[in-house]
Amino acid sequence: MSRPPNEIPTIWTTGFTDVFNTGTWRAATPVYAWRPSPCLVDCPIDNAIPRWIKYISEGDYQQAWLELVETNPFPAVTGRVCHHPCEGHCNREVLEAVVGINGLEHFLGDHALDHGWALPEAAEPVGKRVAVVGGGPAGLSCAYHLRRLGYQVTIFEARERLGGLLRHGIPEYRLAAQVADREIQRVVDLGVEVRTSTSVGDSQAFAQLREEYDAVFVAVGAQQAKRLPHLDAGAGAGRVLDGLDYLRRCIEGATRGLGERMTVIGGGSAAVDVARTARRLGHRVSMVALETRAVMPAQREEVEEALEEGVALFDGAMVTRVEATAGGLRLDCVKVQLDPTAPAGELRPLPVDGGGFVLEADVIVTAIGQDPNLTAFGGDIRVDAGVAAAAPDTAATTAAGVFAGGDAAGTSRFVSVAIGDGRRAAYGIAAYLGHPDAEVVVRHTLEQAVNRNEVNVFYFDFAERNEKAKAPVAERLTGFAEVNRVFTPEQAAAEAARCLTCGTCIECDNCFVFCPDMAVKKDDSKSDSPEGRYVILDQYCKGCGLCVAECPRGAVHLEQVTQ
Amino acid sequence: MEPFHAEPNYIIEEAPVFSSGHNACPGCGEALAVRYVLNSMGPKTVAVIPPSCIAIISGPQPYSSMRIPVYQTTLEASAASAAGIRRALVRQGKDDVNVLVIAGDGGTYDIGFQALSGAAERNEDMVYVCLDNEGYMNTGAQKSSSTPYLAYTTSTPGGKPNDKKDIAEIMAAHRVPYVATATVGYPEDLARKVAKAKEMRGLRFIVVLTPCLDGWGVPDDGAVRVSRLAVQTGFFPLYEVEEGERYAINVGPTPGWPVERYLETQRRYRHLTADQVAAIQAHVDHKWSLLHARAKVECVPMFQGAEI
Amino acid sequence: MTTLTTGASQAGMPELLPGDVRMLLTGNYAVSYGAMRARPQVVPIYPITPQTPIAEKISDLQLAGEFDVDLMTAESEHSAMSACITASLTGVRVFTATASQGLMLMHEMLHYASGAMTPIVMVNVNRTIGSPWGFWPDQTDSLAQRDTGWIQLYTENGQESLDTVIQAFRIAEQLLVPAMVIHEAFYISHALEPVVVPAQERVDEYLPPFAPQHRLDPEIGESWGNVVNQDMFYRHRKRLGEAMARVPETAIAADTEYEALMGRGYGILERYRMEGAEIAVVAFGAMCGTARVAVDRLREAGVSVGLLKIKLFRPFPIEQVRAAVAGVPKLVVMERNFSPGVGGVLHQELKAALYGMADPPQVHGYLAGVGGVNVSARKIEELVGKAMTEEPVAESVWQR
Repeated sequence: MSRPPNEIPTIWTTGFTDVFNTGTWRAATPVYAWRPSPCLVDCPIDNAIPRWIKYISEGDYQQAWLELVETNPFPAVTGRVCHHPCEGHCNREVLEAVVGINGLEHFLGDHALDHGWALPEAAEPVGKRVAVVGGGPAGLSCAYHLRRLGYQVTIFEARERLGGLLRHGIPEYRLAAQVADREIQRVVDLGVEVRTSTSVGDSQAFAQLREEYDAVFVAVGAQQAKRLPHLDAGAGAGRVLDGLDYLRRCIEGATRGLGERMTVIGGGSAAVDVARTARRLGHRVSMVALETRAVMPAQREEVEEALEEGVALFDGAMVTRVEATAGGLRLDCVKVQLDPTAPAGELRPLPVDGGGFVLEADVIVTAIGQDPNLTAFGGDIRVDAGVAAAAPDTAATTAAGVFAGGDAAGTSRFVSVAIGDGRRAAYGIAAYLGHPDAEVVVRHTLEQAVNRNEVNVFYFDFAERNEKAKAPVAERLTGFAEVNRVFTPEQAAAEAARCLTCGTCIECDNCFVFCPDMAVKKDDSKSDSPEGRYVILDQYCKGCGLCVAECPRGAVHLEQVTQ
Repeated sequence: MEPFHAEPNYIIEEAPVFSSGHNACPGCGEALAVRYVLNSMGPKTVAVIPPSCIAIISGPQPYSSMRIPVYQTTLEASAASAAGIRRALVRQGKDDVNVLVIAGDGGTYDIGFQALSGAAERNEDMVYVCLDNEGYMNTGAQKSSSTPYLAYTTSTPGGKPNDKKDIAEIMAAHRVPYVATATVGYPEDLARKVAKAKEMRGLRFIVVLTPCLDGWGVPDDGAVRVSRLAVQTGFFPLYEVEEGERYAINVGPTPGWPVERYLETQRRYRHLTADQVAAIQAHVDHKWSLLHARAKVECVPMFQGAEI
Repeated sequence: MTTLTTGASQAGMPELLPGDVRMLLTGNYAVSYGAMRARPQVVPIYPITPQTPIAEKISDLQLAGEFDVDLMTAESEHSAMSACITASLTGVRVFTATASQGLMLMHEMLHYASGAMTPIVMVNVNRTIGSPWGFWPDQTDSLAQRDTGWIQLYTENGQESLDTVIQAFRIAEQLLVPAMVIHEAFYISHALEPVVVPAQERVDEYLPPFAPQHRLDPEIGESWGNVVNQDMFYRHRKRLGEAMARVPETAIAADTEYEALMGRGYGILERYRMEGAEIAVVAFGAMCGTARVAVDRLREAGVSVGLLKIKLFRPFPIEQVRAAVAGVPKLVVMERNFSPGVGGVLHQELKAALYGMADPPQVHGYLAGVGGVNVSARKIEELVGKAMTEEPVAESVWQR
C-alpha cells in the first residue's frame, strides 16, 4: 500500500492532534496572579493572612508564625486585642460563618511565646540611624521593621517601660502584661536601643533629634483625655476621673476610696475596659453611651462580656447634669438619638422627648477619647484637627525626614492600626533614606480583592466556626486573669481548615483537573509562590474559563486577548 | 487537607492518552469526560466510537486526539464492533488489551441499544461508556430518548413530553458485572469508576452526564457547575450497581436543594412554568425513592457542598 | 490469448487426493467445511432461513473440537457484520453467512466493510426478499448488493461453494476487498451431494495466515475511520476501484493455483460446449446445472448451443465475457432475479458489458426463475428455441 509522498492517507491515522494550534480560538486567556484576600485588605497591618493559615493547616506552626510576623511582630497581643476587621468581609461567610482569624492569630502568637521563637534577624547595617519617639505599638512596630531593613533605631519612651497603650491602657484580663512584655522584648532583642523615661518634651529636644538622626518617627500616642466640663462643675473635684487615669491607677493599685457606685461615660473599648475593670474591683457599674449598642465603637464581644459581668448599659443616652447630693452624685440623663445629618465622625445627640432618667453614683469615669499632645512637634509639622498630618502610605509629615503614626497621627485608636502605621512608616523612612530594596507599602482595596462571586465554595465542606472559650463569669469577677482562652491545637487545625485561602494558589490542581484541553501544565521547576506553579499552554488553551470558574479561591482570572 | 471533591481519597492517575489540539468546543463537558475515560483506561486500549461529538473530537484524518487505536463505527453498531475487536484480540492472545466504547446517548439509548443489549446479554468483555448529553447535540440538538422531561430541543420546541429512559437501570437489569453513573463535575468519582471498571471483566457500563454547552444553553465555563448541580439537586444520582443488584449510592443530593437550582442554569429549561418545575421536582423525588428502595438503604449523603 | 480457465471437473465424481475426505453434504454443510478448512478465527453470525445449517454445522464442528473458532452469536445480522469488520480490522480471518433479509439488514455495513478494506468472506444463501414473505431461491438479495464494493462469486453446487469459500479468502486477503460467495436456497443449500473436503494441510499451503500490515493494535496505535475531506474520499474510492479492477486476474490466479493443488478449478466464468455455438445460454448459480442438461439435450438434437456460466459477477469481468462470447450470434439470459424498472440484472449487466464490442451478439433476457419458480431443462430448451426464432427486445421478458 504505497502512496505518493506527502499525500494524506485516506484511512489509518498517522499523527496526533497536538500538532494543531487551538489557542487561536481564544478570546480570553487565564492568568495566574496572586490577588489580595479581603482579610488582607481589611487588615491594618496588611497581613498575608491566608498564607500563614495555610501553614497552620499543614501543621507547620513555625513557618506560619514567620509568615505572620512578616508584617506584625505582636501576634500574641493582636490575637487578644485586635478589633479584627479582617473578619469583616471574609468570603467564608457564604458557607456558614467567617473564619476565626483572630483566634488563630492568638493561638499562633502564644505558641511562639511558649516555644521562645525569635523574630527574623536584623538585616546587615545600612549605616543610617532613626529615632522613634514613643514606645507604644506604632513605635515598636516601626522599630522592628527598621531593624529588619538594617537601620539603627533608638526608641525614646517617656515612661519607665516600653509598651505604651499595651502596658498602660489595656486591662490584664484582656492582655496579660507579661504577654505584651515578652513580645516587646523580642523586638528589643533585634538590637533596638531603648531610652525609657526619656521624653521629647519640647521643640528644642525635637530639633536635636532631627539633627542627630537621619529620620524621626513620631508615635507619641494620644495621652490627653477629653473632658466633659459640665460634669466636673457639678460633681466636684476628685469625683470625675478620666479613663486612662483610672486604668493607670488600677494598674498601680491606687483606686481605693472611690466609692461603690461608678458610672462610666463612653461607648468605646476604653469605656468598656474601665467598666469591666471596675466590676473586678467590686464596683457597681453603670455605663452611659451616646451610641446604641449596634453602633458603639467598642467591639461586640467585649460589650457582651461586660454585660455578662454585670455592667448596666444605658446606650443611646447621655448625662446632661451632675449634682452632688448627700448620698453621692445624682446624674440627670436623657435618651438621645444621633442626628443622622451630622458630618461624618461628629456625634450630634438629639434628646428624645420624655426620655429622661436619673442615675446615682459615687464616682464618674469618662472615657470619651484622647487627643495627642504634639506641642513639641507642632512647630515643625502640620497638625490637622489635633493630629499630625501624615501621608497614608509613607507616614511622612510635612517636615523632611519626620514621620508620624499611631494615635498621634490618627483618630481610629486601634492597636493594629498603630502597628500598621509603624510598618508603613518604616518602609516610608527606608524609601526616604534611599534603601535599595525597600518600597513604600502599597495598600490594596476591596475592589482588588477576591470577592464572593470569585470563590467556588463547592470545594469546601460545611464546618462550624470555632470560638475561643471564655472563663466563667463568676471566675472572671474574682480577678484579672484573661477571659479568653487560646484555641487548642485541634481547634486551630479545624479553624485553619476553614480558610478558603482567597487569592493565593495552593496548588489544589483544580485548574489542571478541569481543563478539557489539557492546556494547564504544572511546572515543578517553578518555585513555590502565591501564583502557583501552573502555566497555560498557549498553543492549546481555548479560553473557556473553566479553570477560573473552578478555582476555589480566585487565584486565576481571565484577561481578554487584545490583539 | 480540604475536601475537594466527592471522592477526596481517590487519586486520579492519568495516562497521557487524550491529546490537546482536539476539536471540542471551548469548555466542552464531553471533552473533559473523554479525558478521564481515556486517561484512566490507559494506552493498552482499543476504542470504538460511533458518530457523535466524540467522533469529531477524535480528530480529522490523518490525526487522532487519542493515542490508542480508535475505530469509528456506524451509529448503531458500537457494542457489536467492540465485541468483534475483543474476540479478535482474544484469538491473538492479547488478553491485556482493554476494549472501550465511547458513545453518545443517541448511539446508546436509541439506535445503538439493540447492539448494546445483545452485547450485554452475551456479557461481551468491554467497557462501554455513554457520554450522555441528553440529545443529538452533534446534529443540532434534537431530542433523543435520553432527553429529559420538558427539555427544549430543536425537535421538541415545546418541551419533550416524555421522560428519559433510565439507561442505568436498564443495563443493571441485564445483570452485567458493573453499571455506574458519573459526571464531569466529579472527576475523581468518574476516574475511579473507569479504573474500577477497567479491572473487571465482562460488560461494564458507565453513563456519564456531560453537559453540552450549546445544546443545553450553558456558558463556556459552566459545564462543571451544571454537572455538579445535577447531582446536588438529585436530578442525576451518582451510584454503582454490581451484578445487577449490589447498589452503592456515591453522592446523595444536598438536603434542601431544589431541582430548580439545576434547571435555572440552562436555556433549555427557560420556558418552564412553576407547575412544570414542581412536576419535575416530584418526579426527581419519586425516582430517588425508587433508587433508595433498590439500594435498600436510607441514603446518607456522603458529600455536602454549597454553591453561590 | 485467453485468460479463461475452463471448469473441467463438473462431470463425474471429484477426484480424491491424499488426505481428502469425500462426504455426503448439503451445500450449506459444504460451506461449513470449506470455512473450517480456511481457519477463520472469528465467526460472528445470526441465524436466518435458509442459511441456518451453515451456522449449525460450524457450531457442531466447534463443539466437536474440529473447528477452533470463536463463534459469536450476534443479536442481528447488522451486529454480526459490524463485528466481522472490527475483528478483521483487528487482524484475524473472519467468516460469516446470511441470507435475504439478513443481507438487507447488513447493507449499511457491507459498504462499511469494503470501505474499511476488510477481507471478510461471507456466504449468502439467495432467498426472496419480503414483502411478501417467501423462502424461495431468488438472487435479488445479493444482486441488490452489487454496489457495496464486495466481490461476488456465484456457485453452482456444494463442492463449488466449498472450494470457492477457500478461494475467496485468498482473493479477498490479497486485495483487501471483502468477498461474498453466493448460492441459492434449497437447490444448493439443502441439496445433498458427494463433496470432497480437501486435506487441511493442502488448504493451509494454499491459504497463508492473515497478517495485515495495518490493524487495530495498541502496539501500532493507528486509528481507523476518522473524518476525511472530499479529496481524500475521492482518492479512497478510486483506490477501492483499483483493487476491484484487479479481482479478475487475482481470482484466475487463485483458481489456477487451487486447481493445481486440489485438482479442481472453476475459472471466473465457464464456457460449456460453446464450440461453434449459434446461441449460448447465459446464467449463474444453480441454473447452470440445469442449463448443462438442456445444452446436452439440444446438442444431441443437433442444435449448436452452449452455456456461459458467470461465476464472478462483481466485478463484472467484461474483458473475459467479451472474449467468451466472441463470434456467438445470440445469447439468452436466464434470470432468477428481478430489479423493477430494469428487469433481469444479469441481462442488463451483460448488455452493458458488450456495448461497443465489435459485432456483438444479440441478447435475449428471460425472467424465467424469479421467486424461485422452477426452471426445468425442458423450459430452457423451449426458451432457447424461442430466442432462436425471435429478434430480441431491449427489456427482459417475463417467461414462465
